[in-house]
Amino acid sequence: MASAEVRAIRRRIKSVQSTMKITRAMELIATARIGKAQVRVAQAKPYTQKMNEVIRNIAHATGSLKHPLLERREPKTVGVLVVTSDRGLAGGYNSSVIRLADAAINRHQRDGLRVRVYTVGAKAQAYFRYRKYSIEHAWLGVTDTPRYVNARTIANILLDEYATERVDAVEAYTTEYVSALTQTATEWNVLPIEPPAADDDGTAVVASGYTFEPSPEEILGRLLPRYLEGTIFGMLLEASASEHAARRRAMKAATENAEELTRILTREANQARQAEITTEISEIVGGAEALSGG
Amino acid sequence: MATNFQVDIVTPEAVIWSGEAHMLLARTTEGDIGVLANHEPTMAALATGAVTVRHDSGSVTAGIHGGFLQIYRNQVTLLTDRAELTEGGVEEARAAASALRDAEVEEAE
Repeated sequence: MASAEVRAIRRRIKSVQSTMKITRAMELIATARIGKAQVRVAQAKPYTQKMNEVIRNIAHATGSLKHPLLERREPKTVGVLVVTSDRGLAGGYNSSVIRLADAAINRHQRDGLRVRVYTVGAKAQAYFRYRKYSIEHAWLGVTDTPRYVNARTIANILLDEYATERVDAVEAYTTEYVSALTQTATEWNVLPIEPPAADDDGTAVVASGYTFEPSPEEILGRLLPRYLEGTIFGMLLEASASEHAARRRAMKAATENAEELTRILTREANQARQAEITTEISEIVGGAEALSGG
Repeated sequence: MATNFQVDIVTPEAVIWSGEAHMLLARTTEGDIGVLANHEPTMAALATGAVTVRHDSGSVTAGIHGGFLQIYRNQVTLLTDRAELTEGGVEEARAAASALRDAEVEEAE
């Protein structure tokens, strides 16, 4: 019959191992999700590239781009869009982007600007609600597998806020998917729209002599909201890929820790059992000697 | 002179059709447009309607609601966030396009 100490250690080993089963499963799921998310990022690329090309062509045809969505206003109120995940257990994924956004909000407030907060994901919502920020819009259930319609909804609301001058600029705080190993929290200016820089993806052959139906200005007016949706969609896809990558890494580390802990605990259990046996033997020997000696 | 040209129908979630064609019909905000090879460079805004692509082994139709058409050097690109490939004819494509428009109205509400 094992002593209380040995039993306690064995119980801990069991608990560590059942946690390990969960973290390993989560790691495998995240790994599968990264692949899918990366494919979706790649599939969205042609659309964005073509759209950049069209905007550059319009810029070329009209000399300069003019549209309310492109014009810089003196900011009095800044909109801050924070993109996080709905669920945790993703290492530093949420905290690093929230930290970046929080620092920016404090900076804006010190500069005497009003801030309006928009959140994607339950984590950002919880953080800003706990700190008593009023959240203008919170989107949930988006980040796991973002759909284009999500990007459209977000873009429409931001455009409306911008058009009615409730905000004079919108910044997004999100995570850029650099590689499977590196994801960085970044800041990105959403509104006013910054038109794509010439040849930034090397695809465009800017051509002259286009016929525009309707006028270039009108096409630009239709195009810019679509452009915004497209870039927000790209941002959501990258954030999603980053989330899965961060979760995979965190769960891999957790699984490895559990393995290490199991090893240490097993050794402790063995030592305790050994000590127990030694004690028992010395008791028996001691008892026998006492009897024979008497 | 080339008689074929490259067509790509691109949506944010995927390239839904890509290939060589010898004729393309689409509805722009200014009216219907027919494209043959060596069309002049054009940029147009698409309306709600059917797009037909005729290629060497048949034709493809799609319902489209909004988006842009760019023609440049025998390279035709349709950029749209609402498109659906349809089996059968132009009628079905038109119906699909109307359905996409209705979906937009519903989302707005």
